[in-house]
Amino acid sequence: MALRDLTTDYAGRGTPMFRLALKTGVLTVLTLGFYRFWMKTRMRRYYWSAIRPGGQPLEFTGRPTEMLTGFLTAVVVLAFYIGLVNLILMFLSFSLFGGDAPAYLLSFLGLVPMIFFAQYRARRYILARTRWRGIRFGLEPGVKGYVWRASLWWIVTILSAGILWPVKTFELEKYRTDRTWYGDQRFEQTGGRWSLMGAMKHVYIAAALIGAGSAAAALLEQPIWFVATAMGAAWAPLGLAHWKAESFKRLTEGKRLGEAGFRCRPRGGRIVAIYLLGGLAIAGLLIALLFALGMGIGILLSVFDPELIAQGFDDLASLAALPAWVATMAGLTAYFAAFLFWGVLREVFITMPVARHLAESTEIVNPDALNAIRQRPRDEFAEAEGFADALPLGDGI
Amino acid sequence: MTGAGAVLEAFADYVDGESAVVHRVALRLSPDRLTIALPDGTAFDWMADELREVPDQADSAGLVLAPAGDMLHRLHVGTGEIARLIRLNAPALRRRPPVENKGKIAAWAAGAIASVSLIIFVLVPVMANQLALLLPPAGERALGDATFEQVRTALGDADFLPVELCETPEGLAALTKMEARLDVGPDLPYPVTVAVLDHDLVNAFALPGGRVILFRGLIEAAENPEEVAAILAHEIGHVVNRDPTRDALRLAGSIGVLGLIFGDFAGGTVMLLLANQLINAKYSQAAEIGADDYAHAVLTEAGLPPAALGTFFERLRAEHGDEAGWAAHFSTHPRMVERVDAALEAQARAEAAGGAAVPALSASEWRDLRSICGPNSASEQGAAGRVGRQ
Ligand SMILES: [Zn+2]
Repeated sequence: MALRDLTTDYAGRGTPMFRLALKTGVLTVLTLGFYRFWMKTRMRRYYWSAIRPGGQPLEFTGRPTEMLTGFLTAVVVLAFYIGLVNLILMFLSFSLFGGDAPAYLLSFLGLVPMIFFAQYRARRYILARTRWRGIRFGLEPGVKGYVWRASLWWIVTILSAGILWPVKTFELEKYRTDRTWYGDQRFEQTGGRWSLMGAMKHVYIAAALIGAGSAAAALLEQPIWFVATAMGAAWAPLGLAHWKAESFKRLTEGKRLGEAGFRCRPRGGRIVAIYLLGGLAIAGLLIALLFALGMGIGILLSVFDPELIAQGFDDLASLAALPAWVATMAGLTAYFAAFLFWGVLREVFITMPVARHLAESTEIVNPDALNAIRQRPRDEFAEAEGFADALPLGDGI
Repeated sequence: MTGAGAVLEAFADYVDGESAVVHRVALRLSPDRLTIALPDGTAFDWMADELREVPDQADSAGLVLAPAGDMLHRLHVGTGEIARLIRLNAPALRRRPPVENKGKIAAWAAGAIASVSLIIFVLVPVMANQLALLLPPAGERALGDATFEQVRTALGDADFLPVELCETPEGLAALTKMEARLDVGPDLPYPVTVAVLDHDLVNAFALPGGRVILFRGLIEAAENPEEVAAILAHEIGHVVNRDPTRDALRLAGSIGVLGLIFGDFAGGTVMLLLANQLINAKYSQAAEIGADDYAHAVLTEAGLPPAALGTFFERLRAEHGDEAGWAAHFSTHPRMVERVDAALEAQARAEAAGGAAVPALSASEWRDLRSICGPNSASEQGAAGRVGRQ
């Protein structure tokens, strides 16, 4: 008897996410960043458990201490590179070129393979620490092949002025997916190298409009052509949202897990709406926060110098009435508060709604094939995602 | 109402960590245990004090349970009376597992601290010292120009504009005259460029490539032009000895490492630290004495009193104490008294040799220099600015 396809519930809610992100974020700032391993682990536990294919939540089983150890490993290796190599590059750059740009460029180019290395290792760690229905995921070792493939496809993408970005995305996703396991069952990425090109079509149209409009305006000296540029600029974000939804759909539906597969119906329009409304909500709340901080500083001022209120607060020089340490503390608090709230609100208004939409629009086809899957051994992976932690990879989960 | 002592039955989802099958199981909650009955008829107990909750779950009303110390078995209890009663009955539901591998973590932490310290405090300074001597003059100038802009931006106030350069023509003329009087040209492969910044810190510092920066606050704190000339000579001493170049190269090596350790939780802080470090450059004691010696020699040569360096330090210390609010570059020096003495000795030697006593600037030139930031800047800014600093 064939079971019904498994739909995915999403259990994440704004308020608990806000509380968790704020609490762990404050602790991270107060501990000069060292709580971030606990923050990442707790946030991941929440995000993972929110996704419930067939009503069964995912579980993230990574431990903060193993992330800390992995980070320390990476620091030992990277400190050497970043300290000495950067110093020598800076010296050579100023000696030979009289500026620091070549040093930054070379230093970055040297880091690029390390970034790919870190990406693959981080993926391996995350999959090894993810479980669903009690069964572990896993990624085979294979970082060398990933580093050269990623370098190659990035060069191809850059040489093609970005046109072949979908090919790069597919090839790298195929390399990773074909080495991904759920228990003792291997995933497979089907679909061809060119299968994502169509998902990028609106971005191509936008780029063509911007390019052609600007070129025509410059060559024909008729500013009316800038209308095309403006249309392209408006089209671009919609095109990117379409790409995000459509490439996710094509890649997910192309994945096979033995006899089981996936169906996926994300909507680009929904993604645009999330970014638009989420962006507005974040902007509004941040402005409210800054206003509240301003009020706070005003109250402090009136405590230290009551006459100021009578005189009126005309310019920033009045801030000098504050003792230096109060001004410093207020400044630091404002800086970190804005920084922190930006991160927290982004989780609540952008990351989580996007995750919700992608999860809820995905189904598992032919799920009874899953029942034959058995456990895989634990991947003791001492270095965790230390390199990804130490390198500026952004905060991709 | 069902109390904690009663027995309750319910259903839940159970996975055994061996196969991906989800078992629908019958639960029986007694005061001291949870009995789990599988569909095939077998049953087992999890004791109440060994029940653990998987933390940070999005579905906060339901419960994901695991027995203590067990990595694989999971019981997904939905919302309802059973979840509430398990919460009441299980005393250690939220106890965390003990931290494993404490020794290994400590060893890695010690190793990481040791290697980072070795890099920051030994390897990078040693290499910076060597490379500073090898850097060609044009490279040094470029390094100085790049850091100068960073310092100006970092010192900018609430409006985020870089600090103003002070350059009234009369003031610049007086400054040029003072530089010419010191006559350090032969010691350097590039001309010295002195700039005055409109900021009331009592401080001065040198950057690579012959850039010397005086703050308006320092010129206002000086009692006579000889004191300014002495500070200028001291800073040029640092330039001649390549101290700022060493410092900048050392920073290039260590800032990235610091950014690595503290993560990117606040991208801007590293840049702030960098600028702060450049302004409050703390050179080694040997470097300060070297710059003082150079200043004494140059001042004596120019017929100016080397003692001015000593009297300036002495007076500021008497006025402000050893507090770091003023001239961090000078005040953090532990052996201020010795330096003052050295200046007085140099003065005695200069007088014995019969040095001429022509003032560094005429009275009107000194007035011009003091108003290099514009005629009113001193009084206006002095009243409104940094009350807290003084
Ligand atoms: Zn000095």
